[in-house]
Amino acid sequence: MATNQGTGEWYGTDEAVSRVRGQAFKTLCLGATLLALLAVFVLLLYVANDAFRPLSADIGWLLSFAATVVLPVLAAVGYYYTRDTKAGETATIALGLPVICLLLAGGVFITFEHIVSVYQWLSILVSLGIAAAIVAAHNRVRADADLERFAVIVGVPALLLWYVPDVILSLPVLPTQSLALLGSFAVPIALATGWFVRRQRESDRDGAIAAAVTIVGAAAGLGVAPVVGLSPFVWMLLVTITGVPVGLYVESVFRRGAGVSGLAFPVLVGGGILMGVVITNALGFTGPNPWLDWGFLTSSPSRTPEDAGFYPPLVGSVMMLLVIVVSAFPVGVGAAIYLEEYAPKRGLLGRVVDLIEVNIGNLAGVPSVVYGVLGLALFIRWGGLGSGTALVGGFTIGLLILPIVIISSQEAIRAVPDSMRQASYGMGATKWQTTRNVVLPEALPGIMTGNILAMGRAIGETAPLLIIGAPAVVRIAPASFTNKFSAMPRQIYTWSSEIDVAFRHGVLAAGVVTLLVVLLLMNGAAIIIRNKYQRRD
Amino acid sequence: MTDTQMDRSARSVSRRKFLAATGTVSALSLAGCTENTGGNGGENERVIVTGSSTVFPVSDTLAEAFMEDNGNVNVTTDSTGTGGGFSNNFCPGDSDINGASRPIQDAEVQTCNDNGVEPLEFQIGSDAVTMAVHNDSPIDCVTYDELAQIWSEGGAETWADVNSDWPDEEIQRFGPPSTSGTFDWFRNNVIGDSGSHITQYEKTENDNELVQGISTTENAIGYFGYAYYRENQDQLKALEIKENEDGECTPPSIDAAQSGAYPMARPLYIYVSQESLQRDPVYNFVEFYIEESSTDTISEVGYVPANEDMVESNLEKLENAVN
Repeated sequence: MATNQGTGEWYGTDEAVSRVRGQAFKTLCLGATLLALLAVFVLLLYVANDAFRPLSADIGWLLSFAATVVLPVLAAVGYYYTRDTKAGETATIALGLPVICLLLAGGVFITFEHIVSVYQWLSILVSLGIAAAIVAAHNRVRADADLERFAVIVGVPALLLWYVPDVILSLPVLPTQSLALLGSFAVPIALATGWFVRRQRESDRDGAIAAAVTIVGAAAGLGVAPVVGLSPFVWMLLVTITGVPVGLYVESVFRRGAGVSGLAFPVLVGGGILMGVVITNALGFTGPNPWLDWGFLTSSPSRTPEDAGFYPPLVGSVMMLLVIVVSAFPVGVGAAIYLEEYAPKRGLLGRVVDLIEVNIGNLAGVPSVVYGVLGLALFIRWGGLGSGTALVGGFTIGLLILPIVIISSQEAIRAVPDSMRQASYGMGATKWQTTRNVVLPEALPGIMTGNILAMGRAIGETAPLLIIGAPAVVRIAPASFTNKFSAMPRQIYTWSSEIDVAFRHGVLAAGVVTLLVVLLLMNGAAIIIRNKYQRRD
Repeated sequence: MTDTQMDRSARSVSRRKFLAATGTVSALSLAGCTENTGGNGGENERVIVTGSSTVFPVSDTLAEAFMEDNGNVNVTTDSTGTGGGFSNNFCPGDSDINGASRPIQDAEVQTCNDNGVEPLEFQIGSDAVTMAVHNDSPIDCVTYDELAQIWSEGGAETWADVNSDWPDEEIQRFGPPSTSGTFDWFRNNVIGDSGSHITQYEKTENDNELVQGISTTENAIGYFGYAYYRENQDQLKALEIKENEDGECTPPSIDAAQSGAYPMARPLYIYVSQESLQRDPVYNFVEFYIEESSTDTISEVGYVPANEDMVESNLEKLENAVN
């Protein structure tokens, strides 16, 4: 290169080498990218148009919302993009976090409404508390009995969980639902918030203030909520699940002082929508008549397209995800830890491990319908669990995503630098201490990202549900894991074969958009976690 | 080592604090404000309906109507195909009611009995199987013989093979798969002894796809339930049918099927497990189903309602089954 310094050109830039092939290749690649993006975009636009029917609105309605929401948002995005990228990042999170938290609050609401009643939750918490006390006491009295402690740690909670909840639930009187929720849900979250703030700020006082504010905010619902028109129950969920994270985030943005102007973005969006509503109401413009509205999300499926709803499948999907989180994730992450940290790497056994790993990769590619048949044979015919229940659905789809969970967790664990392990060993730590205190905390964000993406795959699976006999229509949300359930994609499939065209175009599109929104938010959450983790390096 | 020891003790302290706090709050709330606990409905308040995709709209409509008055009963409906429902759901005992667009076969009764399931048959109406062609087709009326030529293995290849007045173009066939009750009915009643049903054709359990296929393919022919034709009348053309040369060409309609003028009307059934009938929700739902089967609810979905005599005898049969 030193010889070319005189002309300042690289070897090969003259006519001697043709650049046509390179240019053509580049153009082809660009074309492929654009085609893929365009195809997806057109599809989404088509479905969204069917679901929301924006053209059924008055032209005045569209214009006023364009003026109050779209234009300001575009202006703000332009500003953030060109002038203040840091604030743009804040703006994205400030708008996304409340939405994700609201979705989560909806999920928790469904959980308390249909899956564990508040009292069951309270009784489970109390029994776990008693179990923790016994384990702690044992730890103190017999500090050296390691094996015995292991038995205590496993046995006592299991025994207590088996017997104590029934005893508590059979009590003749229990606190009202709101108070029970305050005690069993708001208080633990307040304590966790306090602990988190205390650790972040390294100040006991700040932690105590954060915890107290959370408790007071949640408890205020007992008095305030009826005035606003909410039940105290919903108020508490909103405060603890949406209010707390948003509050912590806003506070952290102010404290760091970077990109504060991004916080204006959600206010701009919210205010714009509010203003649009006020203006259109005042001028008497009628809005669109969308298929996807509040009634769609909260009512049951129906033979009349206008009354058709999505609520029981939503509950079913949440239940199925819970089963997956409890069953497939521990197994998958455990297997990944073994394969990465403990499994023999050399010799004959090492070969066997290699073979297993290759086959886990193969399992990830097996068609989902095959897993459905496996689930049918294994859990329903052989295991005797009822057909079409949330339990069987969760287990079957759990099996389906198990290879993905294992592989992505393995990747996350492998990404932990070996030097950290060596340093830990160098300080005299055992293998178990290294895995627990060094590798797992470091790999956890990566593992969570992979697991959330796997959940995204799970929530959209249809074929296994058809095979295990999830019914086409369920009108009452399942009350337990052993009831017949329907999930979102299963319901969408049902609508696709309805006789009435309104089902196949309108209602189906509304279902698809709902599923897509849930999916995009889950993937968004995974990306946020990954970015946060990458920045720390 | 000391590090982990400290870590552990710090954790146990926070755990104790946590315990104390939750304990206190729980105790306070226990003492403060209490309410009585009540039990809720048991497990057996549910009715599971599977079976024919043709009967599914009827079952689903009636399930919705039934649940409006009986909010605590959970009637779930599924469309698995007649045969699929018998072999995978009903006979293994996983469902209470199986819709069928053909009578149960002996082999299926055998499987059911082996599993201790006793099926009871109720006819709940009928369906006018509709033979449809592309809108531009010159054909208006066909006989059973011609249909048998079109649909049997080794039969006609072009339309002209069947009738020299028809175009010399290859026949494009669309129909339900062999698991479907519509397929069985058509094979047994229209093709009959003159051969076996052709195996090379576009097959799908989803009737909308059949409609879609026929309406976009010239020289296409296909058959499915009348309800799907009624919803898509402008997209394809239904053939008039005569049973033999002496018969009269009749277009499909609910009235013509009810009066017997339209030959391709086939009965629809539900099969109920004798054991499930002992449970009140199942009994009540079946009773409701039979009572509604002669009303406009059925014709609004697009099927032919059962007549009063049929309802009477069904109710009697139901009564006898539980005593």
